[in-house]
Amino acid sequence: MRKINNFYKSLTLGIIVVAFGVVSCNKQIDLLPTDTIDPSKAFKTVKDINAGLLGAYNKLNYYSNIFYTSRITDEVMLPSENSTGSGVATYRWQYDGSFIHDAWPDNYIAIDRANRVLAVIDDIETKPAEITLREQYKGELLAIRAYCHFELIRNFAEKYEGGKMGVPYMEVSEVGSPERLSFEAVMAKVNTDLVAAKALIPAAFDDRTRITRNAVSAIQARVALYEKNWDNAINYATEAITAVALASRTDFPKIWKDQANNEVLWKLKRVASDAETPLGNLYTQAGFLTNPAGSRIYYAASNELTNLFDQANDIRFSSYIIIDAQRKADGKIPNAVIKYTGGDAANPNRVDIKLFRSGEMYLIRSEAYAEKNDLVSAATSLNALRRARISGYVDQAFATKDALITSLQTERFKELAFEGHRHYDLRRWNLPITRNPDDAVNALGAVLLAPDKAQYVFPIPNSELKANKNIKQNPGY
Amino acid sequence: MTANAPSENPRGFPCRKLFFLTKLTTILLVCLCLQVHATGIAQEKINLKLREATIKHLLNEVERQTMYRFVYHTGTLPEDRKIDINVTNADLAQVLAKAFAGLPLNYSLREDNLVVIFSTDKTSTDKASPERIVRGRVTGANDTPLSGVSVLVSGTGIGTTTNATGDYSLQAPDNAKTLEFSLVGYLGQTISINDQLVINVTLQTTSTSLGEVVVTGYTNYTRNKSASAAITVGGDKINDVPVATFDQALQGRVPGLTVSAVSGQPGTSARVILRGIGSIGGNNNVLYVMDGVPIESDFFQSINPGDIESITVLKDASAKAIYGSRGSNGVIVITTKKGRAGKLSLEYRSQYGVSTLTSTKFRMMNSAERKMFEEGIGQETGAEAGPFWTYSKLNPDYTTMTAAQKQRADGIVDSLLGVNTDWRDLFMRDGNFMEQQISASGGNQNIRFYTSLNYFDQQGVVRISGMKRYTLKNNLDFSYGKFSANINLNIGYSKSTLIQNEGGSGGQNPLSAVYYALPYEYPYAPDGKLVTTGDGTLYPTLDLREGSDSYERMLNSSKKQDQLKSILGMSLSYTLAKGLVAKTRLGVDYRDLTTEDWINADSYAGTRVTPGRLGSFGESLTRRTSLVSTSGFTYNNIFAEDHELEVTGLFEYLNNRTRAFGYTGFGLDSRLPETPAAIGAPSTYIPSLSGRRTQNSMASWIGLLRYTYNDKYTLNASYRYDGSSTLPEVNRWHGFYSAGLSWEAKKESFLENVNAISNLRFRASYGTTASPFPGDFTYLPTYTQTSYGGVSAIAPAQPGNPNYDWEYGRELNVGFDLGLLKNRVRLTAEYYNRVTSNLFINQPLSATSGFGSLNISSGKMRNRGVEFDLQGDVIKTKDLVWTVGGNMAYNKNEVLDLGGANEFEFQYTGIIRVGLPYGAHYAPKWAGVNPDNGDPQYYTPDGQITTAYNAATLSVTEFGTYIPLITGGINTSLTWKDFYFNALFVFNAKVNRYNNEDYFNENPSFITSNQSTRFLYDRWRKPGDNAILPRINAPRNYTSRDIQDASYIRLRNINLGYNVPKSVIEKWKFINGIQINLQAQNLLTWTKWRGFDPENGNEYARFSYPAPRTYVVGLNVNF
Repeated sequence: MRKINNFYKSLTLGIIVVAFGVVSCNKQIDLLPTDTIDPSKAFKTVKDINAGLLGAYNKLNYYSNIFYTSRITDEVMLPSENSTGSGVATYRWQYDGSFIHDAWPDNYIAIDRANRVLAVIDDIETKPAEITLREQYKGELLAIRAYCHFELIRNFAEKYEGGKMGVPYMEVSEVGSPERLSFEAVMAKVNTDLVAAKALIPAAFDDRTRITRNAVSAIQARVALYEKNWDNAINYATEAITAVALASRTDFPKIWKDQANNEVLWKLKRVASDAETPLGNLYTQAGFLTNPAGSRIYYAASNELTNLFDQANDIRFSSYIIIDAQRKADGKIPNAVIKYTGGDAANPNRVDIKLFRSGEMYLIRSEAYAEKNDLVSAATSLNALRRARISGYVDQAFATKDALITSLQTERFKELAFEGHRHYDLRRWNLPITRNPDDAVNALGAVLLAPDKAQYVFPIPNSELKANKNIKQNPGY
Repeated sequence: MTANAPSENPRGFPCRKLFFLTKLTTILLVCLCLQVHATGIAQEKINLKLREATIKHLLNEVERQTMYRFVYHTGTLPEDRKIDINVTNADLAQVLAKAFAGLPLNYSLREDNLVVIFSTDKTSTDKASPERIVRGRVTGANDTPLSGVSVLVSGTGIGTTTNATGDYSLQAPDNAKTLEFSLVGYLGQTISINDQLVINVTLQTTSTSLGEVVVTGYTNYTRNKSASAAITVGGDKINDVPVATFDQALQGRVPGLTVSAVSGQPGTSARVILRGIGSIGGNNNVLYVMDGVPIESDFFQSINPGDIESITVLKDASAKAIYGSRGSNGVIVITTKKGRAGKLSLEYRSQYGVSTLTSTKFRMMNSAERKMFEEGIGQETGAEAGPFWTYSKLNPDYTTMTAAQKQRADGIVDSLLGVNTDWRDLFMRDGNFMEQQISASGGNQNIRFYTSLNYFDQQGVVRISGMKRYTLKNNLDFSYGKFSANINLNIGYSKSTLIQNEGGSGGQNPLSAVYYALPYEYPYAPDGKLVTTGDGTLYPTLDLREGSDSYERMLNSSKKQDQLKSILGMSLSYTLAKGLVAKTRLGVDYRDLTTEDWINADSYAGTRVTPGRLGSFGESLTRRTSLVSTSGFTYNNIFAEDHELEVTGLFEYLNNRTRAFGYTGFGLDSRLPETPAAIGAPSTYIPSLSGRRTQNSMASWIGLLRYTYNDKYTLNASYRYDGSSTLPEVNRWHGFYSAGLSWEAKKESFLENVNAISNLRFRASYGTTASPFPGDFTYLPTYTQTSYGGVSAIAPAQPGNPNYDWEYGRELNVGFDLGLLKNRVRLTAEYYNRVTSNLFINQPLSATSGFGSLNISSGKMRNRGVEFDLQGDVIKTKDLVWTVGGNMAYNKNEVLDLGGANEFEFQYTGIIRVGLPYGAHYAPKWAGVNPDNGDPQYYTPDGQITTAYNAATLSVTEFGTYIPLITGGINTSLTWKDFYFNALFVFNAKVNRYNNEDYFNENPSFITSNQSTRFLYDRWRKPGDNAILPRINAPRNYTSRDIQDASYIRLRNINLGYNVPKSVIEKWKFINGIQINLQAQNLLTWTKWRGFDPENGNEYARFSYPAPRTYVVGLNVNF
């Protein structure tokens, strides 16, 4: 042990170990993540493009539109049994710029996700057999971008009129401080993207949980309606109607239980493993249908809406609303929204979110004809829809444009109830939001919201104003 | 009594030592610490055959043969003395007896084989000066003998240390006047000899002893040779406090350390901030180091506070910088109990107690008040807040009722009035507390051990919550001549039962339900059934069952945490040559946490779970392993008598790995208990899965230097070069330095004779520290997995920032320690100025970027403050000692720069703005209620009153911050004969928090739930009312009304104890001491705060678990 050469051996070994230790330690701090994907590896194949595209679909969050629309309009009433307090101040129109409407961040996140994929899609290694698919994805991405901007316009545009403030339009993914474009500038860009998208998506692609060519037509029709471009509205609505017929009265209830796809132009697919709050939970407790007297109603269908229906004959009424006899007898609010209660007992209230249906296309076409004073064509579309919904319906004729429009407005209220239209429709028509007294028991006086009131239009969140000095707030906030 | 050793060695650097160096280094690096144990066994027996040798030569020869090391002052050994010696198998005593025969030399053998040789003469040349032997015993609190106490004849090098029974004896020169007694963690004492031959001394422990050692984890400097602002809290302040985690016991003990219990749930770690918030987007956690091993913050429930010997808080740059990038927010160094050589000592400690809810300043309505409330709202607005309005005589509908209906309505109102449920009785309880500990320590000069076993069981004040803990602690110290090693092992296993959803405002949180629940609701039907909303068909109720649903959920769900924590530290050191020590340390901090969440399938709560509607069972397992290895050399020597130098060079590598896995299954079989086996078919009830793996590591080169001149002037310096994996490659490595100066002014001639001043020391330090970016790979822009409609997808995870750099702190500290009147009054004061630059900021982005915020490193923030600690022995007699002390810290934070941005909103209520402190509240200023119409009113920024609420334009920043400006504690202790009494008050001042509970308890959105009585009595109802709260139908907006003063003074702990006198326990020979004590924790609180608990350190208060009041009786027995 004490021999000199042993000593030198140990010394050498020691030095080697020290050197090795230091080198390996330096290497040890050059770490890479295991749980996230490097951008350079994110998009390499057409399959990756699809993954990125689905990432954009993932962020399409429609329930905030549906729910906020319900809460602030005459679609629902607030029963005393909703003790959660959730959204009560919004229901009473007590919001200001500190209110963050999910549509603001969520749509821009979806847009950003689409833009990131669009930025690389043309450079992706593509086999000849994949070109059609790649172009389809590109079309879907452009359509998502257009759709999201349109959603932002519906929620946050100062007014749906030329010269009024719209929203920033994002065509590339970037950190910046963009300003609000005018309403018409945004709509022009929406249209450009939709036209481009339509040309890229093959007619044969028919997955209704994604944006098909027919879905693009439907989006175009709705966009045209908001632009008051009646000719486009008629043309695009007709395209959609031709492609996808109305559901029968037998099939109509099945749409809402995800047992049929009739009439659906585009819906957001929802599965049990999704973390998002099930849409139906916004109105009733899960499992309401199995135990109405032992469940809470958070927001009940308003008496105003309930009473508009021909309850016995209109298939829409029984598909959307139930008046529970036991609850009525117990003195509780009986009319529950069951549109989203779903058919799966294990997973109640979670259903696909229907974004575009042929029913809406009939109403768009009818309204566009009416605005063009083509009362006959307008009545034809309206009657066709009613015939499909109401048992024993007899076609109706309309003497004046006003009578027809009034009738259409009621029909839209009924047909599209709880689908996130009422608020925007009232804004399009410049009508106040009103509540009947029997629907306003707990509204603490929130019964009339005139178009000149700030709360009639949602505020741009204050956080955006703080982060982006070029953004202007909507009037009144 | 510095142990000086001559630096020269006649044989140079022996090969054997070099061989050891290499071998040791090899071993160090591969970290096989235990295997080295068998090497280097020295012979105890000495064989000498020397002729005409000097004593120095003789000692060198003994050193060569054994592991003894000799230290002595230069000049102690007579150069001219030549001795002949011939011994075989002799022991040290025999050899030295021969060597020192006839010389005024004596020696004492220390625990680490150090042999201190000292002259028994004041002047070693003056031979036969008369001497006497002084002996005695040194004891600590409770008459426990203190071993290792240094006893020194003042003004000489003559001294010794006490043995295991606390006894000492030394030869004192006749002209010696006083003896000085000192021990780490105890106040030093100087006692006049006055012809006494037996001097017994009792030493007092202290947190601010002026003469203690500053333990930094890398170095141990005596305080007079350290420029650090460091403060030590003795174990006696921590061991017996009835809290599960040691951090809570630090509150009020250390100026500048803000400790707040964020939750009263047993086992929850406190929020600890040192000298203010140093970062906005980065890490603000203090670094915890236990026996040299960095341990994870916030996971202390498996560490037994009873094992802690002392805690040192390092506050300034010169102390922190040696931790480089890890120490920027301060370092808390925990030293656990070590064995002492001597007789085996056993201690048994037992505590029993009870925890209760502290009282709150707000009150919820009872049934009668609720009736007034519901009727009032009905009359004012027609809104239906509950059955008291539906069936009220005042309701317009009442007049339309038939007589029978009216009778029924009246009956309903009467019966509801008859119910007055106190939900606290249902959700809360008085929780039992119990702790048992047995510990043993002992050893000899080669091996010493400390072992303890502890069982801790605390029930929470919320019915289902509690924690049980089992810990084992084992510290072993080996020394054998030049070789020494320690193994510190801490194994803790804790089982916690938690409430679900703490801090949530919904009914899943029992602590919110207990307030929301209506007084006229009772959970049980007459037949004993617990009635929930789901039973509405068979058991119709008029109330909302909010309390019952929550209560049922609490009884049918559980959240359990099992934590296994193991902290293992091993260190080795070997003295290569005089003053040169090679050392290595390996530390492992391992945590295995299993969290179990269960909702009973057979309950109403279980039916509300989707998918499945049959409850859920989930588990998540997290394993975190942190490994640290530190190796290097320390050289310490004294040159030319007055120049003392200590240099340390180290290499350190640190790696943290986390892996986690979790699942939640649904559709449980209710016949099976809380087990994954109960989960329904995964094809029907799709379970959710999660998991992750991540790691980070850091490598560092460390250089430390201490230079002391003449025991008066000390320079501390450090340099550290750190590389961190959490930064982009271009900025990965960075260097940090610090320098500090300390001046022992008392030793200067102009103060030496000033008797009033017994100690005066000035310190100054400056240095840099830094933090790497929090989050392991935040600098990378990355994508992550997501899905749409059940199909896999990817989405951007984080924006990344390739320009991330370190966040730098520069800190200046100036301070002094002053002792007056023989140290009966002790003052320590500090001033510091700490500037964080390259500040990490989560800069909010326009939503159009697709991300909410971007982490940038750009900006500047300053913390500046003063700290004082004053302790005084008011009375000090044989029977009565009364000490009073207090400490206080003032910290002012200011944001100096935000890297381009001017301001942004922050967290719930705050704003980050240049010129304002961190945590500044930002809200419209409340202008009260308009007496004419009940409108809520606000001030515009220019002072006008308006009713138009607009958070964006009205908000101002004049409401302070939630980080207290002033913190501190007041302590007093009284010892009278065998009794003692300690009390600790803690206080926070100049602090405002957002009372989110008021937001929920006084809100028109929640009128169907129970509300605070203020909402009934102090609400505007008719013109002319001067009300606190506006009319019922006014919007409930966030204003300065919700920001409330959270200052408080709390009687944190009182402790009354009795040491059973020796005369009583002498009958039992095996018992050395018995102590009985009574404690109360959080006994009294003075505050204006209206929420649950002012202490909870969050920005907002929302139904969190309040800290309980605990009463404890304890018994300690020493064997």
